[in-house]
Amino acid sequence: MKNILKYSLLLILAFSCLGFGKMQNYDTNSKLKAAFLYNFTKYFDWPDKMKSGNFIINVIGNNTGINGELNKMASSKQVGNQKIEIKSSSSIDGSIRPHIIFILNESSDLLKEISKKYKGKGALIVTEKGGLAKSGSAINFVAIDSKLKFEYSKTNALKAGLKTSDGLNGLAIVVD
Amino acid sequence: MYKVLTVSKSYSYTKNIICFLMLVIGHNQYAQNDLLFDAQKLCSDKNYEQAIPMLEKVIVHPETKRDPASWHIRSYAYLQTYKQSGPANIAKINLLDTAMFSALISISLDSAKGYSDNNNAFIKNGAATYYKLGTILLQDSLNTGKSEMFYQKYKKYTAIINPTFDFKQKDIEYYNTMGSIFADQYMKNNFDQKHGDIAKMALLKVLELDPKNISANINLGILYYNQGATLMRMMDYDVDLAQLDIIQENAKKLFKQSLPFMIKVYELDPKAEKALESLQGIYSALLDEEKANEFKQKKEALNKK
Repeated sequence: MKNILKYSLLLILAFSCLGFGKMQNYDTNSKLKAAFLYNFTKYFDWPDKMKSGNFIINVIGNNTGINGELNKMASSKQVGNQKIEIKSSSSIDGSIRPHIIFILNESSDLLKEISKKYKGKGALIVTEKGGLAKSGSAINFVAIDSKLKFEYSKTNALKAGLKTSDGLNGLAIVVD
Repeated sequence: MYKVLTVSKSYSYTKNIICFLMLVIGHNQYAQNDLLFDAQKLCSDKNYEQAIPMLEKVIVHPETKRDPASWHIRSYAYLQTYKQSGPANIAKINLLDTAMFSALISISLDSAKGYSDNNNAFIKNGAATYYKLGTILLQDSLNTGKSEMFYQKYKKYTAIINPTFDFKQKDIEYYNTMGSIFADQYMKNNFDQKHGDIAKMALLKVLELDPKNISANINLGILYYNQGATLMRMMDYDVDLAQLDIIQENAKKLFKQSLPFMIKVYELDPKAEKALESLQGIYSALLDEEKANEFKQKKEALNKK
């Protein structure tokens, strides 16, 4: 009786599988951006006074996908000896001394204000809207041929008070 | 008469031998028919396992081995013994094989077609069991080789009783089941490539037969997308930028491969919510936000209705 039940259930299960599969609920773009951001930490040198405490990534704008992915990254990675801490806000918080400021597309209008405020303070400004590497950010994500690439402005990185490495030039779209 | 009998002793002896032999032969023939009769009776009483040894003698005896009844009853006895062994009993599959083989021999000997309806019913029953086993094997043990073997047996026996049977729909159903099960297992087994490849093979087979098959198109689209997403998911955060580019390129190829299947579904049924939702996801993965939004809006509009 048990066998009959088992095989009946298996048959039902087999035919019920004729339905549709399920797409992975996974934000591939956020994963890419998180991996890029972590990689950028290898190509810049932050001022000595920022080499203690947590390594802060400040996300400006609201995107649960990117916040989730960055927090996941923060739980498994460090920058040197520094733990990674993710902060998220809709505008810039003056009390935070971030190492990276990631301005999401929707908050791009804040770039001018942020780049002015953090000039020389050792914050790598990353954006994701066309043309912003020429308007103040050091790194700007762009989609080219269905792939995520990045524009790089060495000038803006230097203005931000960071020491740069030429290693990034060959991997980026250099804008200046 | 008495005189004749006494005329020649040798004649009398010869006559007695002949009578004896005739008696033996007659008895022997009677014994075989008797065995067949007894076996038949045991089958009526559902004592199939006791009937089988008798039937094994009947089918080799010269007097009964060409009798379609012998093979027909043997087929019945084995079929019922198989059924008694439990549902979908793969370990006892030789019983079903023997039943099918016996029914075929009975058909070949049955020039009067006296047993054809029953033999055909046995074969139909056995073929359905092979199909059921083939499907269960996919779900239960994921044994595609054995499953396909049973599916081929189903086709072979179905074709015997119905030579004009069109297997196209059954092939579509079987390979769709295989594809769906393995696509599901691909997800459940941490995106194991082997499961993904079997799913693809099966679903592509369905599309060879029916390019407009919605289920196969959707499942293939999802499978390619999931393979691309898996590449991204498995990627470590500190993968170097050159390697990251290679992973992106490979994922992009998979996302692009998933696209035509989903577009096909959308073309066939512009209101298919699954296609709209999937296209939004695929275009987003391909960083085409404009297109992703287009399908997002179409899905929202559909839901409003």
